[in-house]
This record gives sequence, C-alpha cells and structure tokens, in this order.
Amino acid sequence: MKKSFLIQFSILILLIIFANLGLRSLESYDDDELGNAGGIRIDLTGNETVYESSPKDLSPREGGTLVLAESAEPEHLNTYTSTSAAATRVLDYIYETLLDYDYETWRFDRPILAESFSISDDGHTFTFKIRKNVYWHDGQQLTADDVLFSIKAVLNPFVDSAPMRSSFSKVVSARTNGPYEFEISSSETYFRNQEILGGFHIIPKHIWDPEGLLDRYSVEDLLNSSVTREEAAIKQFADAFNTHPQGRPVGDEAMPIIGSGPWVFDKWITGDHISFARNENYWNDDSTYINGYSEEGAYLDKVIVKVITDATARLTALKAGEIDFIPRMRAVQYFTQTNTPDFLEKFQKVSYVVPAYSYIGWNNDKPYFSDKRVRQAMTMLIDRDSYNKYVAYGLGIPTIGPFYIYGEQYNHNIERWPYDPIRAVELIEEAGWIDHDGDGIRDKDGVPFNFTFSVSAGSTSSKYMALMLKEDLRKVGIIVNIRQLEWSVYVENLRDRQFDVVSLLWIGGLESDPYQIWHSDNIGDRGSNYMGFRHAEADSLIETARFEMNKEKRNAMYFRLQEIFHEEQPYTFMFYQRDPGAYLKEFHGVKWIPIRPGYKLYSWWRNTSMAGEAS
Amino acid sequence: MSEMAPARTYSQIVGSQFRKNKLAVLSLHVIYVLLFVFIFADFLANDKPIVMRYQGSTYFPVFREYGVRWFGLNWQDAFKSQQFKILEDKYGEGDWAIYPVIPYSSTEYNLQVKLQPPSRAHIFGTDELGRDVLSQMIHGARVSLLVGFVAVAIYVFIGVILGALAGFYGGIIDIVIQRMIEIMITFPRMFLIITIVAVMETQSILNIMIILGLTGWTGVARFTRGEFLKVKNEDYVVAAKALGYRDFRTIFRHVLPNTLTPVLVTATFGVAAAILIESGLSFLGFGAPPEQATWGSLLSSARDTLPTGWWLTTFPGLAIFITVTVYNLVGEGLRDALDPRLKQ
Repeated sequence: MKKSFLIQFSILILLIIFANLGLRSLESYDDDELGNAGGIRIDLTGNETVYESSPKDLSPREGGTLVLAESAEPEHLNTYTSTSAAATRVLDYIYETLLDYDYETWRFDRPILAESFSISDDGHTFTFKIRKNVYWHDGQQLTADDVLFSIKAVLNPFVDSAPMRSSFSKVVSARTNGPYEFEISSSETYFRNQEILGGFHIIPKHIWDPEGLLDRYSVEDLLNSSVTREEAAIKQFADAFNTHPQGRPVGDEAMPIIGSGPWVFDKWITGDHISFARNENYWNDDSTYINGYSEEGAYLDKVIVKVITDATARLTALKAGEIDFIPRMRAVQYFTQTNTPDFLEKFQKVSYVVPAYSYIGWNNDKPYFSDKRVRQAMTMLIDRDSYNKYVAYGLGIPTIGPFYIYGEQYNHNIERWPYDPIRAVELIEEAGWIDHDGDGIRDKDGVPFNFTFSVSAGSTSSKYMALMLKEDLRKVGIIVNIRQLEWSVYVENLRDRQFDVVSLLWIGGLESDPYQIWHSDNIGDRGSNYMGFRHAEADSLIETARFEMNKEKRNAMYFRLQEIFHEEQPYTFMFYQRDPGAYLKEFHGVKWIPIRPGYKLYSWWRNTSMAGEAS
Repeated sequence: MSEMAPARTYSQIVGSQFRKNKLAVLSLHVIYVLLFVFIFADFLANDKPIVMRYQGSTYFPVFREYGVRWFGLNWQDAFKSQQFKILEDKYGEGDWAIYPVIPYSSTEYNLQVKLQPPSRAHIFGTDELGRDVLSQMIHGARVSLLVGFVAVAIYVFIGVILGALAGFYGGIIDIVIQRMIEIMITFPRMFLIITIVAVMETQSILNIMIILGLTGWTGVARFTRGEFLKVKNEDYVVAAKALGYRDFRTIFRHVLPNTLTPVLVTATFGVAAAILIESGLSFLGFGAPPEQATWGSLLSSARDTLPTGWWLTTFPGLAIFITVTVYNLVGEGLRDALDPRLKQ
C-alpha cells in the first residue's frame, strides 16, 4: 500500500513537471510592456482599405497548400439554408456572386459574374449582363438561367431560407433576357438593394434542379401564395432542395459541391477537415481578378480547413506545424503564449478589425430595465475600459452604437457614458429602486432587483463579464444570477425573449440597416428586436432612412438615431472587435480587408523556396 | 487462557487494527484538516473582517453574514455595500479590523493583479480575473467535500434498501432489482451524468449531488445483497423470524446492522470517486455554476493559460489528488482493520 501511494505520488509530480516544462519566467502584466506582443495591429481607417502584412518584394508563385483552423464545423453546406458563419466562410471559396465590394472604394459595385450592370432611372430595376466565359466546376456554362434559378430557390417559400429571404422581401419580379442578361425589380428603392440583389451566391441549376421543377414558375408565381399553395411541384422542389446531398455529409464524406469560384470543393471528412483544390480552369485566369488586390484567381494549390474546436489544441497544432494559419485565437494566447522569439520568427501575428461588436443586451420589457435611467446606470456601472485592458488585452475598440466604427454611418460626436458607479447608483435610486424592506437588496413595487445574466457555455469572455458584474452589483444591492446555457438553447431563449440580460457579438457589415434589430415591428414573433426597444422617433427615422438614397441625408438620420440609442441604452455597447490571428511567415500576399472574415485567400501564396534556399 | 485481558469491544479491536496502519492514520488526520477547512472556510478566507472596531462599536461581520443568510438579519447601515476594505479610509481614532488569514473572498476580483504567480500577497497566485487562488481553493474544498458526502449518503441509502430487499426476499424481487442494476451499469456513468446535466434547467451543486447519488447506488446494492445472502440463514435471523417479527424489523434491526460495516467501507471509496467526478464535471463546465469556486473549475480555467499559469494547475490538482488519495487510504485501512482475512 505504501508503495502504491509512493508510485502514485511520483507519477503526479512527474506530470506536473511535464505540464510546466514549457514554463518561462512570467513578467508581471503591464499594458505598456505588452504592446502588440510582436504582432501587427491593423486598423483600416481613412484611405487605407487593404493592408498587406507580408513582404511585397517577391512576385507571386502558384502552388503550395494552406491549412487553416476553424473552431466550428458547419452543420451542412447548403448556402441558402445554412445559418452558421462557419458555413459562409467555407462557401465563399466555392461560390461567387454577381457583384462584390470594390476593394479600393469599398462600394458594392465590382462586377464578378456580371460583366456590367445598370439600374433603371426610377431605381427599382437592376439589369445584370452575365459574363459569357464563366463555367461551373463540372464544365457546364454559367448563364442567366442559373442566376434566375438561384433567386427562385431563395424565394421559394418552402425552402428553409427564411432569414435570407427576409432581405429579399421587396423583390417583385425577376427574369432573363436571353442567356446572358438578368433583370430583377423591387418595389422599393432600398439603399441596400445593390448589396442584396447582387450579393447572393449563384448556384448551378443543373445540379440543384435537374428535372427543372421550377422552370414552369416565374418569380411572381413564387411570391404569390395562392400559386405556391396549389402547385405541388414547388413544395416538391423545396423538399428536395432542403435535403439535397450536395454539401451534406453522408457518413464520413460529402458529395462534392459544384460552384464557379477559384477553388474546387475537394473533400469534407466530417469532424476533421474540409479541403479545396485550385480551380485549374478558372474562368478568370487570364484577367486581373481584383483591382489593387490580387491577380488571376488563386495561387494556392490547396486549402484545407481543419476543424479544431479547442483553442488550446489549435495553438498547439500551429506550433507543431500541423496548421499554417489560425484566423482567430484567444487574446490570452496572442498576448502571453506566443511571445517567444522562436514563435515570432516563424509566425506573423496580426490583429485586424472586423465589423462585429460585442454588447450587453438588457431586456427592455423586464421590470428592472424598463426605465432608461436604470439602463444608463448599468452602462456606467460596467468598467468597460478596465475590462478591455485586462480581460480583452486591449483588443476592443469602444463603440457607442451599432454602426461600423470606421464606416461613414458612425457618429463620432457622441461621447461614451463614463464609468461612474456613484452617478449610476443615484440614477437607480431616482428610478425608484431603493432597499425599502431593508434586506440589503434594492426593490421597487415589491420586486427585488434580482436578475439573471445568461451566458453562452463556450464563451469565456462573457463568463468573466458576468462574474465581474455579479460582484460589482452585489455591492450596490443588486443580485445577479449567472446562467450558463448551451448555444442552441441560448439562441432559442433569445428568440423567445426569455431572458433578462445577454452578452453577445453582432456581426454586421460596412454599412448596415438598423431596421431588423431596432424597429419596433420586429419585437416578438421571433423578430430580431430581442431587447424590445420601442421608440417612436427611432422607428420613423429607421423607416425613412431605409428608402433615402441620398447618403448624406441618410447618414444624418442615422447620426440622430445613434443619439437616441445613446440616451436610451437598450444595449450597453461594448467594443468593435479586433480578431487576433497568426500565420506561417512562408505565406506572402497576405492581405487584410475590413469585411468579414477579414482576409481573403485569393491573394495568398506560399514561398516554398524559402526552405529550399536556406539548405 | 482463563485469565484474559479485559474483554475488548469490537470497535476497540478495529481501532487498534486501524492504528497499526500509519499511512491510514495520517490520512485520517488530513481528513480532519479538510473537515476543519470545510467548517471554517468563511473564517479562513474572506474579504470581511472577523472582528472590527468601527466608530466606537465592535462588529463581527463574518458572523453577521451567517445571520443575514440564514436568520433574516440585515446588514448594519454602515456596511450595506459590504466593502469593508474601502471603509478603512474612514477609520477614525481607535478603529481597527482583524481579517481572516486570507483576506480575500473567492469571488472578489482585482484585474490589476490578474495572473500573478504565488507571492506574499497571494500565496497560491491569482487567476485570470485577479481572484485569489487559495481563497477559491478553500471555498472549493467545501463544494468537493459536500458533493462527496451528500452524493454518497444518497446512494448508500438507495443501495442499502434495494440490496437489502433483494437479498432478504430473493425470488421475483431479487430478479427485478438485479435487472435494474444491470440496466444502470450498462450506461457509462460519466456519460450518463453529462447527459442528465445537459438537460437540466439550472446549474447547481445540489443537482450534481443528486445525480451522482441516483447513478451510483448499484455497487452498494450488490454488496448489500451479497452480505444479506450470507447472513440471512444465520440462527439469529431464523430466530427473529420464528418470533414472528415483521420483515421490516428483521431486516433493519437485525440483519442490516450486521452487514452495514463493510458497506460503509466501500462508501469511503465512494466519497473519493464522487469528488473526482465532480472535479471532472466542473472541469468540463457541466458542474457547479460559474460563480462557485471549485477545484475542477479552477483547473479548467488554468487550461487556457498554460504554460504560463502553472500555479493554477498545480495547487488545485494537488488538492484533488491528496483528497482522493486520503479517502482511498482511509478506506483501505478500515477495510483491513475490519476484515483481517483480507490482509495479505
């Protein structure tokens, strides 16, 4: 017995020693000392629209493989019915859109599959001329029929694409004029029309609807509920579409996805990786692909997206050479675990801004948060700067509203609420939350100030936020309960508005329309105004701005809207995010852009000779 | 042989046998220490003073906290915010406070000192929010021991009753209970627990204790059943039956006391196993709620900071290891002392 104890004990000691072998002397944490931790901090402001973080002295070469790590695996890869960000990132390699952002002006007017486009004088109709030299990965030609089919699939009411379809709700008709012209009309001159009508993935008709079930129906038919109810073929198509084997794993593998982009779908080994090979017959191989950004399609022979859910395992895999690029790592890894000279010599660390902001949402319909003074007080009780400095390692950019911080919609004239617990307590008391019964907890009308902070189980940062808030509010007589929920349950509760407080990240765009989240139309019925924000002036501003095509006038309305948000504090707006990442220095042409996911692999190439020259 | 030493009672014999095992005795003392920590955690690590003199009156904030929590008392107006450290600025002539040895609570955070290695101010260092690790471990010890004891109490209770019924009656009751046991043990316990925890609405230690209790009774039931089979034909049982005692009395007054000791020995091992499972669950994030410090959740938060935060793994890891080991050693010692035949 003594012996077994000794053996156990020595094994434990050995394990501890092994676990700490990588241990280095730790300097005390100091913000100035930390700086950028040997990485490049990229803020795309002003005229700088694309940033290249790799040396520019070499000309690109084809070949090589890039292995990157994603934290989540898409549930499937049907581009219209999928809602996960992981799926979108993968599908962007395969599919293309009619238009895309111009990477110099960041306007959504660069023709991709369209050769050119025109807008009718009244602004209602968009006409796209489709390129004549575009071929699908299986060799068939891409024509206006495919584009028309794609919009039909989206608009088919039985296809599970409701979130996407809501953006297309103003579409009234669409048709082809010959094989290379596509025309689409909407009932309103909405300012985001160009982005929506030119920005959806085009999918091949011959793969998704080989029997031509939708051929008989026009877009008008699909929008007419009396037709869609009557015609069985529409439902039949949708059922087949929703469960189409394309991009849906069967066993370990998935059927190859046919697209038109610079990469061809290669393999999806579920639970392990998704891979793409360079499209040797890419239609655009002989012309400049993106002005000022990259040339001639893709350089890399192969891209492998590895799925590694655990952050620690991702970093270990990078260090071990199993992967070449981690787009998003944890801040603590970026700032404290990758500072060795070895790592910095081999890898380039980069932190880049993406249009996504974090916030704490107060359910405006709960008794605690129905008074704006309480919401203002909550904002002033949260020491956002300390949180950013110590928990987020300074990666956040404080924001006062929902618009992209470097975009034209953002109102820079508004000053953030300060961290001021004393004023906050005064406001809470003004609102009537006083400890009437002397039990140490504030109450009003017999309701104790005792609310639940819902935290998604995987999110360490919101867990920390909740723990800090709990401790701070306890001191002013408010009880916070923390509830950790599985992501799917969390989202369900959010949609049903069954929560008091949530902490979330919203991924937006360079230009966004606040209608979806902030208009009172979208409260309840699973609408996205989860906080229940109601404000008459805000509603009318949002409605008018949507159809105001003059940018200056529109942005003036959004400036006013942000003043209302600031005053009302339906959210406590926290930070725009910088994502910290790292890639192997062998890669060149590494460019960072302000739209998600923050990088596009088209321009990346691998300087494989680096190793060769050295030997 | 007629001049025997004064007759020794059963417990004295067992006691002297147990004391021969030095390691088990040592382990028992470690358990005493753990029990001490369990009971007096609030006096060992707390951000409230034990005694304080403030503006001419003497207060006992730690005791007051118990009063507030359990007896419906209220905090004095001066202490509403419970920020005693800030009050120090207002100290007048002759004001003083005596703080616990570790003057930090397990939830008190201070971002300025996050991830500090062990130092004089924070003996076991601090975590990612600058909370004191030692304080979290002291309060975490409460969770671990509580989970261990309550879960085992629940499953010993269930297991003994079911095992007793099966062993005593045999026949159809025995068959049914045996099949129940077999069904239970076909599920891997950890997965079963994780599945149940995943569908629970709220996270609480009570849930964990109940789930551990409801899933762990099979071993005890089998053991008790075996013991019952051994003794049910003993003369005293037959005598009890012949006297017309009701079955209830026979089982619980006559048979059970004679079979319980070995069952309780296995329970000691059970405590160790329950502590380990709770740590595992907390490590995976299924265990105690996030504001509750436990050894497992400390280890889990350490995983993100390795290799830099070695103190976050080492101390909670050692605490789990030592606790589990001492319970096993005491269990072994008891088993050997109770049943010398087993001793090799």
